[in-house]
Amino acid sequence: MTAPPILVVDDEPQILRALETTLRGAGYTVTTAATGEEALTLASVRPPQAVILDLVLPDRSGVEVCRELRGWTEAPVLILSVVGEEREKVAALDAGADDYVTKPFGVDELLARLRAALRRVSDTAEPVIRIGELEIDLDKAAVRQNGELVRLTPNEFALLRLFAVNEGRLLTHRRILREVWGLAYQAESHYLHVYVSQLRRKIERDSARPRFLLTEPGAGYRLVDPES
Amino acid sequence: MKTALRILSSLAAVAIVTAVIYALEPIAPILSLGVLYLFAVMPVAVLWGLPYALPVSVASMLAFNWFFLPPRHTFELSDSENWVALAVYLATAVVVSGLAARSRRREVEAERRAEEASLLAEVSSALLESAHVQDELRAIAGRVAHVLGAERGRIELDSLRRPDPPESSYDLVAGSRAVGRLYLKDEVDAQIAGRLLPGLASLLAVAVDRERLGRRALEAETLRRSDATKTAILRAVSHDLRSPLTAIRAATEGLGNPGLDLTATDQAALLATIEDESKRLDSLVSNLLDLSRLEVGAAEPRPEFWTVEGLLGQALAELGPPADRVSVVLADDLPPIYVDGAQIERVLVNLLENALKFSSSTDPVELSGESREGDVVVRVFDRGPGLGGVNLERLFEPFERGGDRAAGRGTGLGLAIAKGFAEANGARLWADQAVSEGACLVLSIPAAPAPVESRA
Repeated sequence: MTAPPILVVDDEPQILRALETTLRGAGYTVTTAATGEEALTLASVRPPQAVILDLVLPDRSGVEVCRELRGWTEAPVLILSVVGEEREKVAALDAGADDYVTKPFGVDELLARLRAALRRVSDTAEPVIRIGELEIDLDKAAVRQNGELVRLTPNEFALLRLFAVNEGRLLTHRRILREVWGLAYQAESHYLHVYVSQLRRKIERDSARPRFLLTEPGAGYRLVDPES
Repeated sequence: MKTALRILSSLAAVAIVTAVIYALEPIAPILSLGVLYLFAVMPVAVLWGLPYALPVSVASMLAFNWFFLPPRHTFELSDSENWVALAVYLATAVVVSGLAARSRRREVEAERRAEEASLLAEVSSALLESAHVQDELRAIAGRVAHVLGAERGRIELDSLRRPDPPESSYDLVAGSRAVGRLYLKDEVDAQIAGRLLPGLASLLAVAVDRERLGRRALEAETLRRSDATKTAILRAVSHDLRSPLTAIRAATEGLGNPGLDLTATDQAALLATIEDESKRLDSLVSNLLDLSRLEVGAAEPRPEFWTVEGLLGQALAELGPPADRVSVVLADDLPPIYVDGAQIERVLVNLLENALKFSSSTDPVELSGESREGDVVVRVFDRGPGLGGVNLERLFEPFERGGDRAAGRGTGLGLAIAKGFAEANGARLWADQAVSEGACLVLSIPAAPAPVESRA
């Protein structure tokens, strides 16, 4: 029996054709759908290992499809968006999508995101997380860089901890706010970007050219291992 | 109250003059001293007019008769000579007070007219200097009310509202056209109002017309400019879209042609061309989208607290390897800014892209950030040919490529978009003309308050 397929959903045949060819070339099995209904039917008949989903479909929005999929499958969902759909993109991410690429995207980028999303499906947090030269001890709330202790404020540690346990994963602003500041946002949560800048100053060599803590414009942040 | 005071003052004047004559009596013939009563009559005539001056004249003569003319302490006269003198004095007093009162009246009238004339002059210059008639109405109504002697007034253009008592209203009519209404708190002299208000109405009518014409001219100019912009866009777009498309098509057909003998290096070069040119098309399309959003005013910023450093990080990441030439020096104490992150990032990308494009690939592009007078000031400096000979006013217009700089690639949209987004976020963008070589663009963003972190 072959591996579960990647389900690609887009209403433009050229894009479907290009993605199908490339993904097959990369060794995946591919099924394609041109509408939201078709995608949901296909996914229920043959559960995919991942879904690549265009935000704008003729019958329903990608956000809805994403929400419905999340009702019964944990398969990673990768959003295809274009400039100008930032709101919908963030809505889809908040509805459970894992990541996004912006059209026109490079195939390498798409494949890298897909691999990362598939890898993360079975991740468990360990008490000490190592990312590059960073060592984050969740129990002791201590951070070391090249063995040296990095002094962080409570907010900065809470941020870094959230990023570390979700290494490589895109975290939307809303999710960061919810998990670091709780549902009753305090006034200082407006300063999320400012806190991220402060954190960068402490862990990045050149904070204007971050290697660990990357910004996803208009969507959120992602902590990556610069050496991987 | 006022009348009683005047009567008392008049009597006092008569009494004072009487006392003076009494004092002078030993040294001068009494008949010649009667003329001194004119010093009581004249001021009264000048100040309060004939109604007071006439009784004062009569009272003076009676006092003169009673106190000084024999037989004293009676109103009888022993000498017919004295009768004549008294009659002459009285006639003189009446005539003089009449003349004084008239000249006083003329003076008051002249002052009034001068005040009215200067009011109209003031109104006309206020209306000329102001772009909006409506903004001036309150001040004008106040001045008009003052000149008319009312406590408060307001002007309503195109109004037919009935006055709320005790308010009174006066139509402002220029020629046959109703301009509006003047509402005053009190009734005023209808004659003065009738003299002043037509002039005021004409001035207002002219100002209202001028404003309307100005607005129409502005609309027409905006339309004309947007037409000119559209033409320029179409021309530039068709050129700028075609050249990458041509390169892509040539490269793909080259790769797909079995008759061509291509080495692996050739193929890689053709593939790289396709990739580069597609990216160029993509960036052109995003620029056009940004520009059209700015043009229709749809680029509504969604501000959040950011640091320049954070936005610059995104900008440098977006620019990719060419940005390695950018050397960054940011002051340690830069305050946060409250802006739309995506838009200000776009500004930084476009400024840096511009600087990278117009300078040699071996020279650095310098970006500095410092805090100055409540602003975060970012300067982007390149060592390219500079802006000498460039029309700085047009530098930020779409499809302007900075004179001879046109040799470079790109649509000339970058700076126009940068300025549009900067201004939409309350920031300013300009070219620093003080640099002697290279070009320096300055972005000044208002600083926002920094967070005070609560320690858990």
